[in-house]
Amino acid sequence: MRPILLQGHERSLTQIKFNADGDLLFTCSKDNVINVWFSHNGERLGTYEGNNGTVWTVDVDPLSKFLVSGAADNTLRLWSVSTGKCLYTWEFPTAVKRVAFNDKGTQVVCITEQRMGHQCAIRVFEINAEGDGTKQSKEPLYMFNPIGSKATVCAFTLTPNVVITGHESGKVALFNVKTGEEIDSNERAHSDVVTDLQMSKDWTYCITSSKDKAARIHDTKNLMVIKTFNTETPLNSAALAPNRPFVLLGGGQEAMSVTTTSLRQGKFETRFWHKVFEEEVGRVKGHFGPINTIAVHPAGTSYASGGEDGFVRVHHFDDSYFKAKPYGDLEIIE
Amino acid sequence: EDAAEESNVSAELIALRKRLVDEWNAWRTLRMKEVGEERHHKLQGKDDAKEEIEVWVDEVIEQIEEIIIE
Repeated sequence: MRPILLQGHERSLTQIKFNADGDLLFTCSKDNVINVWFSHNGERLGTYEGNNGTVWTVDVDPLSKFLVSGAADNTLRLWSVSTGKCLYTWEFPTAVKRVAFNDKGTQVVCITEQRMGHQCAIRVFEINAEGDGTKQSKEPLYMFNPIGSKATVCAFTLTPNVVITGHESGKVALFNVKTGEEIDSNERAHSDVVTDLQMSKDWTYCITSSKDKAARIHDTKNLMVIKTFNTETPLNSAALAPNRPFVLLGGGQEAMSVTTTSLRQGKFETRFWHKVFEEEVGRVKGHFGPINTIAVHPAGTSYASGGEDGFVRVHHFDDSYFKAKPYGDLEIIE
Repeated sequence: EDAAEESNVSAELIALRKRLVDEWNAWRTLRMKEVGEERHHKLQGKDDAKEEIEVWVDEVIEQIEEIIIE
């Protein structure tokens, strides 16, 4: 594997995302900046500047026209991917911790933090693609406060107006955004905070990671846990590898506890697990701190990881990765 | 390395893996079929709309023909 080091962020990475074509990689960080890179060579294409706080989260629409970001300055921003201009800013009483487009790129769901008398809120905004994108509705299409434990991650499902959420308590739930009703929930999906949630290529299942050291694949229709991957380190991110039966897991102990243990115990490696057999098949080293976020190229040809160390590493898979048939010749459906 | 491992795994483990893959594939086939059907329904809806337009075009052509006969 040929790693490319993307240097440009001054502080730890919070989320990274490939666009639908996979030619661009968006990265956001605690240094208040969003960067976009050419994924094949790691060259920086540009930056999205304007946020006055940690950028916690980004997502890009299926046409690579719009980018949305959520930040600690209590804003949700809409950006033009090609010009780097901020098209619209929504302001809230608390920080925006997670954003996600729907499959068509027409709506955005966002989670705002629970703090200082403000409840955790989930809002859905309709994105007006007409004109230059600067004419957006100030008010959300829907808004509700999820009952119980606060939400940490979310994504749209294929069912209109239904989002899947991961919570601080470890709960995974389905919500109707129109009514705010909790349609279904798995209270014991994880036993600690859910740190990431990524959808499969066809959006019929998803993978979650948690501080409880496990990652799980859930059926998004009924929240049934399909697979569990038990590791020995708190996980910050989990991604599904398209076209290959693997999942990629990343994490590591918090920076604070690392100083009291040996570096090896920090375990800052991207772990590859077999998706069906729930067995670890390999590890990739590189980061000097916990891995905060992992994304796989939509064609499954490369992957990127963003670390607490401020670096993004892009790895292009080599032939052996595509030829490897761990545990035999059985054909596994995507 | 993989080949070496292959020969060492017991028949029991091979059977377990076969079962796991079969279960996974059965679930995936079901979900993919459902998603396929939903897409199919949506596409059918669009086809109906197109058909109506085609009928309207037919009518115009017939009117032109009548004028020629007269």
